[in-house]
Amino acid sequence: MTSGLHRLVYYSRNRITGTPAEVAAEVDAILASAQRNNSLIDVTGALIFNAGIFAQVLEGARRDIEVTFERIQRDERHGDVQVLAFEEVESRGFPSWSMAFVGRSREGQNLFAHIGEATGFEAKRMEGGRIFRIMCAIAMEEEARVV
Amino acid sequence: MASVAEERNAVAKDTSSAMQTASGGAQGISGDMRRTDGVAAVALSALNNLDRAVAVLDPEGRVLLENPRFGELFGSDAGSAELRDCMGPAAAWTERTWRCEIARRDGRVFSIETVRLPQGLLVTAEDISERLAEKTRAAELARIDPVTFLGNRPMFRERLTELLATLERSTDTAAVLTVDLDRFRVINDSLGASIGDALLGVVAARVRSAIRRGDTAARLGADEFAIIQLGQPQPQSAAALAKRLVDLLGRSYIVEGHLINIGASVGIALMPADGGDSDQILRNADLALRRAKQEGRGIYRFFEAAMDEQMQARRGLELDIRSALALGELALVYQPQLNLGSQRITGFEALLRWHNPKRGLVSPADFVPLAEEIGLIVPIGEWVIRTACHEAAGWPQPLGVAVNVSAVQFGSPNLVPTILSALAESGLDPRRLELEITESVLLGHHRSALDVLHKVREMGVRVSMDDFGTGYSSLSYLRSFPFDRIKIDQSFVRSRPDDPSGMAIVRAIAGLGRSLGMTTLAEGVETEEQLARITADGCTEVQGYLIARPLPPERIGEFLQSRMESATAPATAQGGAAAARSGRA
Repeated sequence: MTSGLHRLVYYSRNRITGTPAEVAAEVDAILASAQRNNSLIDVTGALIFNAGIFAQVLEGARRDIEVTFERIQRDERHGDVQVLAFEEVESRGFPSWSMAFVGRSREGQNLFAHIGEATGFEAKRMEGGRIFRIMCAIAMEEEARVV
Repeated sequence: MASVAEERNAVAKDTSSAMQTASGGAQGISGDMRRTDGVAAVALSALNNLDRAVAVLDPEGRVLLENPRFGELFGSDAGSAELRDCMGPAAAWTERTWRCEIARRDGRVFSIETVRLPQGLLVTAEDISERLAEKTRAAELARIDPVTFLGNRPMFRERLTELLATLERSTDTAAVLTVDLDRFRVINDSLGASIGDALLGVVAARVRSAIRRGDTAARLGADEFAIIQLGQPQPQSAAALAKRLVDLLGRSYIVEGHLINIGASVGIALMPADGGDSDQILRNADLALRRAKQEGRGIYRFFEAAMDEQMQARRGLELDIRSALALGELALVYQPQLNLGSQRITGFEALLRWHNPKRGLVSPADFVPLAEEIGLIVPIGEWVIRTACHEAAGWPQPLGVAVNVSAVQFGSPNLVPTILSALAESGLDPRRLELEITESVLLGHHRSALDVLHKVREMGVRVSMDDFGTGYSSLSYLRSFPFDRIKIDQSFVRSRPDDPSGMAIVRAIAGLGRSLGMTTLAEGVETEEQLARITADGCTEVQGYLIARPLPPERIGEFLQSRMESATAPATAQGGAAAARSGRA
């Protein structure tokens, strides 16, 4: 039987203006509200903010993902939202995070320099997988460092 | 006179004690009306058990008889004062029956009916609170769109009318934005109406999230929304909201597992500058919306007075073109087509001309798109086919006649019957008729258009691909039907000698035609130099001012005669260019 578990991967562009500290504070606020909202409905995932781009993975029941995504879509703090993948999956990639924030260790790097060149549906699907893998890898790496 | 309440109370007290002894609980029947027969007892019992309040008053307003419900409702001083206010002064009680309503602070509403009887006034009171509430609910429901739970068009117009009445005339303090979803229909058709409705619900929620308290949002039609935005500064506030809506509604949706991408266009009219009533404001916002859609969708536009003028001008043109056919203002002219190998005229392309007494000669570029939009191209196209067949049948030589057929005509079931009857009535050999179609014919209803093409081909009619090189220029269209001829758009023929790409395209299409067994005709040839180049590039036929301008039908005989004479004259035997020059009109 299928679990009905879905994963959504998207990226969007930052529209928060201000000093790096102000932007960081706003990102923290986004993260906090995501963790609060997601813990109520068993949505897990990860958020990364790098070089002006948000990328987010959301995992959960389809309906919960739809509701969460709709709330995210109405947020004026980002724009040019591109959904890279939305599909049924076997298991969660971020089972223990209501919303992991990954990538602090890579702040100096431009992780998504390749974004923007990829066009077309197939390319987007590939990007979805790629971003998901990047985020999983960084999350594991950061996890290891903490431990 | 004493107050009605005081009088009434005095009588009521007096009679109620009497009645209690007479009929065990029944109250309010005065002594002279006391009867003991069965009918009266039944009547009394019925009266006492009525949910409706009933009383009989004497001509001065004193209570002669009342049932318990009446006492309950109007027995108090306040209740009787209420009743008196409702019924008005006794001097006004001149009608046979009259009604009034009492609305209590607790929300209950009573309808009071008074009937004049010989013995006094029969007053009944009915609690109509429920019925009124039901009516209000129904009225509210009638103003709500059941799919999105936004207001509907009647509600929106009402709100707009109310607002317009209160607006100051001096500055713009409000705006109407009309919003149209791009590509919604495609989603609705492909994913089904239930997904379509669910999507509209999410769209409505996004609209709601973008507006402020006091603003009004409504769904006006299938995929059309409208907003009344209050407050200043205008136009900045409206521009900001429109920008937000275009961004917000254009973001991806996920509805029941489907990732959906649609867009939104917005038109804005400011109030009160852009209209004095709700109709005009909405119409002007729609004009701005139409402009936004014309200019690429996914954008917003403010209404400008020029849009209205253009709309009026378009309407005027539409009226004139509708009568052009009936008034005989349309005519065909014929442009010769020359075969480069044989140096012979092989046929003519029929071109539409509209002479309007008021407008003069109107270019097809100015009226054909409009005629297509309003469907008038179907009867006009029929007239073109019939006229071309009829006139060509009278030519001194059995040359070809090419007729342009628009994609809209292919949508009409009349096309094949029209061609059949035009051929039959004129007696024209079907092999002399040629239909020129553009790629747009195959783009829309590909399958049915191909069926029509195969049918006419079976009759012997020829088919050519017009304006090739512009538009999609898809090779798959050339493969989808065995065209007799490819017509190369004049923009390639006229490209400058220092622009090698234009000539490369001509050469490529000519080569394509050769390998597919189709002749290639270059349009718009104006100079010897162009003629030399397209000849070298391998085109088989030419058409253009260098050969001849389009001719009115009465000059075709004369033209063909002059061609024959020059062709047989020794001076022009050496080449096509000279022959073409001598044939120039």
